[in-house]
This record gives sequence, structure tokens and C-alpha cells, in this order.
Amino acid sequence: MLNLVLRRLGTMVLIMLVVALLLFLINEGDPRLIARSVLGPYAQDEQLDAWIMQHGYDRSLFVRYFEWISRVLTGDLGDSIIYKRPVNEIFWDRLGNTAILAGVTFLVMVVVALVLGVLAGMKEGSTQDRVISVFSIATTSVPEYASAVILAGVFVYWLAVLPGTSSMTGGFSVVELILPVLVLTLYGFGYIARMTRASMAEVMTTPYIRTAVLKGLPYRHIIMKHALRNALIAPFTVIMLQINWLLSGVVVTEFAFGYKGFGALLLEAALRRDIFLIEACGLAAVFVAVFTQTVGDLGYTYLNPRIRFK
Amino acid sequence: MNFRKILNRDARRYTLPQERRLGAGTHSYLPELCDQLGTGRIGRRDFLRQAALLGMTATTAYAMADVLTGTAPVRPAAAATPKPGGTLKVSMRVQEMTDPAAFDWVEKSNVARFMVEHLTRTRADNVTVPYLAKGWEASDDLKTWVFHLSEGVTWSNGDAFTAEDVAHTVNRWLDPATGSSNLGLFGAMVEVGSDGKKRGIANAVEVVDAHTVRFNLKQAALAMPENFYNYPTAMTHRGFGKDYDADLSANPIGTGPMSLAEYDVGERALLKRSRDWWAGDFHLDEIAYFDHGEDTNAHIAALASQQVDMVYRVPNNLIETVKRLPFVDIHEATTAQTGVMRFRVSHAPFDNLKVRQAIAACMDHQEILDKAFKGLGQVAENHHVCPIHPEYAALPPLKRDVELAKKLLAEAGHGDGLTIEIANGDTEGPWMTDACAIFKNQLAPAGITLNINKMPTNQYWEVWDKAPFGYTAWTHRPLGTMVLGLAYRAGVPWNETAYDNPDFDAALNDAEATLDVNERKKKMAVCEKILQDDAIIPQPFWRSVFKASNKRVKGFSTHPTLYHQFHSVWLDG
Repeated sequence: MLNLVLRRLGTMVLIMLVVALLLFLINEGDPRLIARSVLGPYAQDEQLDAWIMQHGYDRSLFVRYFEWISRVLTGDLGDSIIYKRPVNEIFWDRLGNTAILAGVTFLVMVVVALVLGVLAGMKEGSTQDRVISVFSIATTSVPEYASAVILAGVFVYWLAVLPGTSSMTGGFSVVELILPVLVLTLYGFGYIARMTRASMAEVMTTPYIRTAVLKGLPYRHIIMKHALRNALIAPFTVIMLQINWLLSGVVVTEFAFGYKGFGALLLEAALRRDIFLIEACGLAAVFVAVFTQTVGDLGYTYLNPRIRFK
Repeated sequence: MNFRKILNRDARRYTLPQERRLGAGTHSYLPELCDQLGTGRIGRRDFLRQAALLGMTATTAYAMADVLTGTAPVRPAAAATPKPGGTLKVSMRVQEMTDPAAFDWVEKSNVARFMVEHLTRTRADNVTVPYLAKGWEASDDLKTWVFHLSEGVTWSNGDAFTAEDVAHTVNRWLDPATGSSNLGLFGAMVEVGSDGKKRGIANAVEVVDAHTVRFNLKQAALAMPENFYNYPTAMTHRGFGKDYDADLSANPIGTGPMSLAEYDVGERALLKRSRDWWAGDFHLDEIAYFDHGEDTNAHIAALASQQVDMVYRVPNNLIETVKRLPFVDIHEATTAQTGVMRFRVSHAPFDNLKVRQAIAACMDHQEILDKAFKGLGQVAENHHVCPIHPEYAALPPLKRDVELAKKLLAEAGHGDGLTIEIANGDTEGPWMTDACAIFKNQLAPAGITLNINKMPTNQYWEVWDKAPFGYTAWTHRPLGTMVLGLAYRAGVPWNETAYDNPDFDAALNDAEATLDVNERKKKMAVCEKILQDDAIIPQPFWRSVFKASNKRVKGFSTHPTLYHQFHSVWLDG
């Protein structure tokens, strides 16, 4: 097991290094482009040259890459071009905001998805199963940008019970969190619910469940004690993947509701070519993706002893 | 009727003694102007604009117009008494705000507008009136302008506002190192140096005394007062960019009534009234700008849920949605805002006149206006002078001519067809992509394939003056000469077409030097015709702009350039 953990961590570091190299080459390959991004469209050629010299961008790419890597490892992410502040001052706040949105969504989504998935999988083919399946497929099929407009139309324009934006300008507000959480949950829960349902349905047909039923054990006891743990192995990986999606895949929702999160920051950085911000956001997004995948793999191995010995 | 006599009588009647001492209302062209209004050769609005340009106070000009047209002064309807206090909340992008001289977005200037102020102010009715300058005079040849500054105005750091501040600010604009677009705007004060760069001419700005500045121009310029209200022309303190960094958000020293209490780029800006305003009452205690991102749906949703009182603008596709909100007023302004599908004439194949003319000949302006912008505007004529500009001269209407386009294309060596690409960033909304798509269809019968390179808004601003063919949005400017000088005069920073035509420059110089609006129209007709014939900017339409505010916001009117003028705004409840 220790070997497995070490091997997975080593792979993770290697992926991060490759991604870092790609990010660096894409963003900092052309020093003139960096100078133009920093100094703006009206800067003259001499100003660009002076900036390149002054900031050491006339040195070789190789030297600059290792210098950049060492700076990143010590926590120096550079200065944002659009915010005119160190990236560190903006980045962690935005990451924190997304963590709040993602955390709440994750809790709501996983609980709803597991409950509905188990309910549907318990009696495959029943009315209960069909209703839940149709509902979860329908909501997952509607992209966030559409559900954001539909939900805003209902709750903001028609019923006028919820705020239309979630920028938290007056401080943290639970009410402002409702619509983005709802949009993300509606989109994301169906996938987990469907996986849980399929897994549950499969477990419910296994001989040991049939034996338990024939033994006369209470149905609730069979579900909770015997079926659930085995049924949760497959959805576990999907759930771990959702963490990654909740960090970097919430761009549309954050954009639609003006939520000041990591996704919106990444989008803004990309749109305005804020290279140091793009690099920081890119590294963070890839780290979370690789990290959650690694945890998912390890967790799956823990839950399913058969994997451990392969 | 002897209008000169009326002018002399009424100018004294309506002009304060100190204003008469300054020469207000006594420009030698004013009697002619009065004669033109009295005989119906110019309209009331043109008279007001011209009179203000020549230094007549707004009060005098409006009263004169009433006398000359024989209409009784119109009393405004009994308005409710403004209530002081409150926070006006506005949804608008909050961008980095460093040097006002280098502003490239109106949004930046809107936050700065209540701290740093302008010499003049163009009102929502497109008439320019005194502001930090209480009056001005122009020489008969329009080459010398004297601006008299309001006295008793102080900066927020306690220094008095003087002519030194004006000289410092204007000299910074004229220094190419500042990188200000004002270098193009004030072309009459600019020359080409030995290094080939444009810079201010010697002695362009002359401090006469503490409250008088003289501008010595190399050529006549009509729109000096109007230019002083362009969004990168706010007056900054004499130490700005000299004794301390040219960064307004770090050094918010201004003459306005508000100070910057909070400033968080991409999040919010909070302005608080910090002192009495030298110009009179200022009703609001605070103005808070909230950044709800790029998505205009989010801005309107914030208005719908009453999280904000106003939005920066309403995109045309959401007008019907906003109209349904019972607590919201929607404001429309007819403007000279537009988008030009401009060629960079230095790039092949657009360096070929016949190719440009062929492409322009395919355009059906009315169809693009109707389908892309729901008809909310008026058709343009490929010369960037709008019917609401006083010097607009009507040319024969343009007609789509596909056969002519084919012939021109064949003559240009593209008889087998031509494939071109237009860069578009939807900088003013998705209607820009719609306009490109409709134009694509209009070009197809002539054998021209138009590919639309849809790019993110901010990326478009990186290539707007480089792309061989691009769709660029231009904001409203009060005079046609202003925008032509900014965009099409050879070598100016915002000349995105790389257009360099000495005949056009000479014609524009001539128009800018002509005060008589009817004479100027004739000269503008020459400029318009040159631009139209050279086919550098297929320009589909002029668009109206819309703003929306909660009904509790009183005293607000939409400015054609979306400038925020909240000096009379107050909140009811």
C-alpha cells in the first residue's frame, strides 16, 4: 500500500512539472508579448525593450523557467496585470470563495444524489426508479448557462424571492448562495445519482443480498448494512471527480451570477491575458485535478480490496 | 431685425459683469450666429452648442435662444425637492484606475469623474457648458483659445486649483511618453519631432495668470471646449506623475466632492462625499460601484432583485426584459455610438482600393440595423459622421450594388472570389457578431467569403489597431470633427485603419477651422466623401443606448457617452 501511495504521489509530481512547463512555455515564451500585456497597448517599442531588459526577460527560456519554478515553490506567484497587485493577494481569496461555493454544493449534491440513487436502485424498474431516473437525466442534460437563466427567470424576475447576483458585495450572504448552489446541484447530482443507482441495482441482485432477504433480515438493515457500502465503491470515484469539477468547472455559474470565485478569476485572467494570474490559476486547477484523482484512486483501492492486490 | 443689436442688449442683460469682463458673449462671430438662429438657418440646439463654444454662459445662451426664436422661456415642471444623502448603487465593471490621461474605457472615467473634474462639461443634450473653466474665448481664426478658470476651487489636499495644474495636465497629454490618446484629440497642438514621434508644439500651453490659460494652436480648432470633456481629459494635480506616481487609485487627489473610500479592482469601488462641492449642492453621500463581471445578464439581474439602483447600460437584447420590471425606468439616448468594420489599408488585400470598394458595395445597412439591432438606431454611411452631429452633411444615400462589387473584384484580380476574415470581440454586445453574420450573407453573392473570427472582448482590444479587418466599436462624440481627428488623421494613436491621406487631413483641418456651421457642413461633405470613396470603413449603423435605473433614482438623465453625471441625482426613499 505504501508503495502504491508513493508511486501515485510521484506520478502526481511529474504531471505537475510537465503542466508547469507547458504553462510557462505558452505564457512566457515570447517576452515581447509579456511586456505588451504588462505595459498596455499604447506602450512604445523602446518602453517594451526597456521593460524586457529590466525584468530579465532577455535571458534564456531555460534559466527563466527554473527561476520561475523556484519562485512558485517559495510562494511567489508574481503580480497580476489587471489587478495591479500580487497574485497571492487575490488568488487565495477567490479560491476561498469557490471553496465555500463548492463545499456547500458538494454537501447538498452528494447527499441528494446518494439518497435518490439508492432509492432508485433499491427497486429497479419501479415507478420510483423511473421518476428519479428521468428527473436526474433531465437536470443533468440542461447545461448550467441555461439552468442559470431559467432559475433566475423564476426566482428573481417572476417570484422575486432571491437576489439575482451573488457577488457578496455586502459581506457573506447565505441567500446569495442559493441560486448558484441550486444550478450546480441540478447539473451535477444526476451523474452521481445514476452511478449510485446502477451500482445499487447491481448489488441488490447479488446472492448475498438475496440470502439476507431470505434469512428474514429487516429490509432497512439489509440496505444500510449490506448493500450500501458495496454500492458506494463505484460512485466514490465519480464523487471525487466532482471536487475537481467544482473548482475549475464552475466558471459558467460564477460568471452568470457574478460570483467572485476562482472560476470567474480564471476566465477573467484568460480573457485579459493576465499571464501571471493564468499561471497561478492553471497550476491550482491542475493540482486539484491530479490530487483529487490520486485520492480517488487510493480511496477506491481502500474500499475495494480486490484492487489492492493487482 | 437687427440681431447684433439684440445680442448686445441681451448679452448684457443675461451676462454677469464679471463674465463680460472676461469677454463672455462678445466673440465677433456671435452676432452672425444669432442672425442664423433668428432666420432659421440653424436650429436652437446648434445655436446653444455654438454659443457655448464661443464662451457664452449656458444661462445666457438659453435665454438668448428664447428671445431670438420668440419663445417664452420654458419653466421646468415643478420638481420635487431633492433629498440629500443615501448611497447610489451602480452595477458596472470596476477596472484598474491609474492615469486618467491614459484611460481607455469610459467605466474607468466614471469612477474618477467625481474626484477629478474637467474644464468643460458636455450635458446630456450634447451642449458643452463651463465647468472648472468658467468661460473661454477664441480668437477669430480659432488658433488661440483662452480659458478662464473658476476661482476658489481647491484640490482635496488643500492646494488651490490654478492654471499651473491645467498646464501640467495638458503638457502630460502632449508628451508621447504618457501614451495618451489625447495626442490625437488635440492635433492642433501637436507636431512631428525629428525622431518621427508626435509631441506637443513649443508654447502650446501658456499660463497667463493663476486663473487664465492660453492655448496656442498651430492650426484652427473648433472643438477645444468639447475636447476638454472627452473621458481621458480630466484635470489632475500639478504633482501628478511628477512629484508622485501617476496612479489615481493610489493618489486620489481631485477637485471633486468625493473621495475614494474603497477600491478593489474587479470587486467594488466606493466613493464618499468628503467635502462641500465648489460648484454647489451634491446630494448623494456615497456612490458604490459593484463589479458583477462581464455578463450583462448578471447586471440586469442585480437591478431586478434591487441589489443595485442602476446599471451601466442595458444591452438591446434585454430591453424588453427590463421594461417588464415595474419599479425600473428605462432611459434611451440617441447617439453617435457605432461600430465600424474597418480595413487596415496597409494590409493586403485591403491595400487595394477596389477590393475595399467591392466589399463596401455589398453592404445593405438597413438590413443589418433591422436584424442585428432591432432597428434601434439609424443607418450609417461609411464616413463616421452622424446625423446628430451639427456639421453632418447629407450625401446621396448608399445602395447595395452586388454587380458593381463583382466588377470591382474582377478588376482587382479576384474574379474567382475572395476569402477574408473579420476580427470581432463583441466589445459592445452580441449584436456585433449578428451584424458580421448578416454582412457575411450580403457578401456571398459577390463571391466574397467572410470568415468571422470571434474572439474574447479583451483579446480584441489587443488587436483592434492591428487586425487587417476588424469590427471596432466607437463611442459617441459631440462633434463629427472630433472623431475624424481621432481616428482617421494620419499617424494619430487611434488611427486603426493606418489611413494616411493628405487630402483628407487638409479637408479636415479646413472643416475644423470653420465656425459657421453651414459653411462647415460643406467642408465636412468633402471629408465624408473622401472617406466614403476610399471605402476604409463599411459602417452599418448608429445605435441608441439604453440605461435603466430604479424609480427611486431622481434627477438622472442618460448621457450619450454613458458618462455618469450624478451631480443632480438624489434618492427618493
